[in-house]
Amino acid sequence: MHPPSDPLDPLLDRWRETPELPPHLAAEVWRRIAVVESRAERPGLFARIEAAFTRPSFAVAFVAACMLLGLFLAEVRLSRLHAERGVQIAQSYLRLIDPLIDETAVNVAAHRP
Amino acid sequence: MIILLGIAAGVLSHVGWFMSQRPCGANNLDCQLEWMKTELKLSDEQFARIKTIHEKSSPRLLALAAQVVRMRDEYDAFERERTTSGQVDFLEFAHFVEQRRAVDRECLTSTQQLVADATRVMTAQQRARYLGLLGPVLQGTGRSLLN
Repeated sequence: MHPPSDPLDPLLDRWRETPELPPHLAAEVWRRIAVVESRAERPGLFARIEAAFTRPSFAVAFVAACMLLGLFLAEVRLSRLHAERGVQIAQSYLRLIDPLIDETAVNVAAHRP
Repeated sequence: MIILLGIAAGVLSHVGWFMSQRPCGANNLDCQLEWMKTELKLSDEQFARIKTIHEKSSPRLLALAAQVVRMRDEYDAFERERTTSGQVDFLEFAHFVEQRRAVDRECLTSTQQLVADATRVMTAQQRARYLGLLGPVLQGTGRSLLN
């Protein structure tokens, strides 16, 4: 005697048919695993900067670069200041050596390169 | 920590260099002579001699400058009186003009003497640069400081 047919039977029969695996499945799976792991291991920007500053050679180079930048900016300020002061001192010198000098002549002379 | 150290080193080097190299801040004779030394590239010996020459002449020149200012004020007073009252004391004015001429002559002589003494200490190149600085002044006043 046959048991009554169950409507699930054809579906279960279909489920037993395993589909064909895509080619290179294992290789693809391992590739994806490697990608995820490498993402997890890669440090962030801050961590990389921190790591760089812990290296003595980088730290020394950074401090030296800061000093050179400070000196460069000081030199820029000084050259401008020297040019301005040069004009003022030239004017006062001309006034000292020639009491009769008029202001127009002083300004012309002091601004001359 | 290293970043802070770098910033501190940069600021210190900036301030230190700026303070050590900044030009003289006043308009006195010492600053003017320092400026001349740099501008004309004077040697220490030349600088010492030029300093002596200027120190010797500057009190007289300053006194003359004060006299010139006083005489300009006097002239303004004459002019005010002429425009307000319409009268001029010609005797007083003639006396003033005579005084003014004497002061002008003395100024010119003192300046000529100073420039001549200073240029004698200089090399040809320094002299050319120095007179180049004074040149427009001479053109502006229409006078010659080098006799």
